[in-house]
Amino acid sequence: MKRLALLIVILSGGLLLYATKDFPSWGDPNSPASTHVSPRYLEKSLEETAVPNVVTAVLADYRGYDTMFETTVIFCAGVACFMLLRKFEPEERDLYYRHIPTGLTLHIKGEKQIPSTSKEFEKIDAIWTPYDFIINTVSRFLVPFIQLFALYVIAHGHHSPGGGFQGGVILGASIIVLAVAFNLRTAVRRFGEKIDGIMSALGVFIYAGVGAFCAILGAEFLNYRALAKILPVGKVMARSHGILAVEIGVGIAVMAVMICIYNNVASEGKFDEGL
Amino acid sequence: MTGNYPALLVTVPLLAAFVIYGCSWLHKRSCLFMALLGLTIPFAISVALLKKVLINGHISYHLGGWDPPWGIAYELDPINAIVLVAVTTVALVNLIATSKEIETRFSDRRGAFYALYLLFVVGLLGIVATGDLFNLYVLLEIASITGYSLIAMGDPARAPLSSLNYVFMGTIGACFYLLGVGYIYIMTGSLNMADVHALLPPLYHSSAIVVAFIFCLVGVMIKMGFFPLHSWLPNAYTYVPSPAASLIAPLMTKVMAYVMIRLMISVFSPKFVFSSIAASNAVVWLACLAIVMGALMALAQRDVRRMLTYIIVSEIGYIVGGAWIGNATAMSGAVLHIINDVLMTFCVFLSLGAIARSTKGYQIENFSGLFKKIPVTMATFVVSGLSIIGIPPTCGFFSKWYLILGAIEGGHYGFIVVLLLSSLINIILFFRIFEEAFFVYPKTNAVHTEGEASIAIAETPFVTLIPLVLTAILLIFTGIYSGSLIALIIKPVVSAGLL
Repeated sequence: MKRLALLIVILSGGLLLYATKDFPSWGDPNSPASTHVSPRYLEKSLEETAVPNVVTAVLADYRGYDTMFETTVIFCAGVACFMLLRKFEPEERDLYYRHIPTGLTLHIKGEKQIPSTSKEFEKIDAIWTPYDFIINTVSRFLVPFIQLFALYVIAHGHHSPGGGFQGGVILGASIIVLAVAFNLRTAVRRFGEKIDGIMSALGVFIYAGVGAFCAILGAEFLNYRALAKILPVGKVMARSHGILAVEIGVGIAVMAVMICIYNNVASEGKFDEGL
Repeated sequence: MTGNYPALLVTVPLLAAFVIYGCSWLHKRSCLFMALLGLTIPFAISVALLKKVLINGHISYHLGGWDPPWGIAYELDPINAIVLVAVTTVALVNLIATSKEIETRFSDRRGAFYALYLLFVVGLLGIVATGDLFNLYVLLEIASITGYSLIAMGDPARAPLSSLNYVFMGTIGACFYLLGVGYIYIMTGSLNMADVHALLPPLYHSSAIVVAFIFCLVGVMIKMGFFPLHSWLPNAYTYVPSPAASLIAPLMTKVMAYVMIRLMISVFSPKFVFSSIAASNAVVWLACLAIVMGALMALAQRDVRRMLTYIIVSEIGYIVGGAWIGNATAMSGAVLHIINDVLMTFCVFLSLGAIARSTKGYQIENFSGLFKKIPVTMATFVVSGLSIIGIPPTCGFFSKWYLILGAIEGGHYGFIVVLLLSSLINIILFFRIFEEAFFVYPKTNAVHTEGEASIAIAETPFVTLIPLVLTAILLIFTGIYSGSLIALIIKPVVSAGLL
């Protein structure tokens, strides 16, 4: 079996090498890839979409339909993680609480528990790691700056490298850093599972919804030009605004899905202390 | 609005999936209703599109208002319109028939289940409708990821591992396809199928294009479970939860078979595939091997569901063989077999899901006496079985008939022998089940399950039974009308493509 696998690997590698024989040479300006469709993207994208960043124009407008489905792929991954990992039935076991003022750990056997509203006790797991003042404080300070940067990355995708995917990941990281520095319960208290689930659907819904809205306004699906009918801008600028709207949708979806995946994987779907 | 039908066909279930998942966090009960709505609308649209394509001919829809090759386009011809109708029909009927089981089995995560169900359908619809090579890859990813997770929800002991195995194989397949598309892009600078088709002829002898074709084909063949690359299929389709089984098993492999035919006709041309590559004999022989091996491995199974998964492997062999014989009759037979196989695999898996309510397992022994207990459900199982064997009034016969005619025309007598042989094996496979269900009566239950009184098993509930009976009737109707199906829909496109 191993020999057969080796044979197949060598065969595929050989095919790959054989294919390069007829490739255009490296960086050739006359290769088909740089003469067929790309010139229009490079030369016309600013006047056709009013977006200086060519990558954004191709990604979110010329081939915006692909990007919608790429965002859907991410959404699928989040839903799949929820579906496969989330456990709703609590496993029967002992409860541990930390007394916040003193740091003592309380171990309760059996049915009794301290109400979750208690200010003095905090539910923890047996594998609880102690409170770390420096890490906690620093990461708490970092969160707003991370989020601000994320918003910048999303909003500035028209002009510089960035956009919804990158900004969304950074936004998600700002919540995940809380989960890593404190614990998962703290992060989930700040940003609950329900709101996270709704936002992951909302984000992709914004993208597809903008597309459907263009269709309702009488143009093709995702033809942002149609937005000029309701926005006080010209048809070309409407494309730019449409791109911004879908980038915001992508940002929301990616953020929510990142958090959903982290929460479910880190706690094996139990939503307890986490890693 | 009617002008936007091609986009709405795919995006209505897409939007519905997002709304369902969002709403499931607020109000769980409304999910089923929205899922039904989200599949009824595309069903209606697909029927309208088929009608429109038959009257007006080819439809090309430019997404985002950008002309291809710069933007993405949807291309609809009669063949993919009818495949779209088949996909939406199966998805809708299956949801109605299995809704009860979904609601009880996944009650705490039904929103996620329906969302993944709809997204799977979105993926397949997009794959069939698209005219863009990369868009096809993205939608393939959606259909695969949702498929993996639906399969992993099955039997907790075995399903996750079989799904993981499928993830590995499926990802390798997708990678091969993507590599092929990348090579095509390097050589032509385009991703639009029609544009690539026009740019390719001067490049037919380029090594990169030949390798690109091989890679695309191998990727698609892994995804459709073509014989030596089928190893993920039996386990994945055996342990999948039954509401998802009757969705995934009929659709995924057949849609990928359609993609293969699409690649052969609309991206590369028959001239390239049958003359420049000159591998058609080898592929037909490989298909023969697939048919025989699938049938033999099915014969070795005692578990009925597992047996059916090997029958799928064998059916894929028919389609690949028919497509590669390389004449219009065989190609038409292959396309007809895609549609027929969608319907009959759907019917057999759906009735098996209904039968499983009344049995303790999927072993052949569990079927004893079932004709008495659930006569109507068993009747639908018999109809689908007869169709898979290929007995005249059912649709399975007609596609095999065209395949055989095509094979005679192309001089592939080995293929004919193999086709008849596998039909004979299918007779054995199904009649040993029918025999068990019809003639063998279970010894008094008390002997097997100590103390427990024998429970009279009632007929399947109407919500499952009616769709099931309708599907069985559809099998016969498709059979009766397959002549006009070929003449009106399939033959014109295939002949135009092959000439």
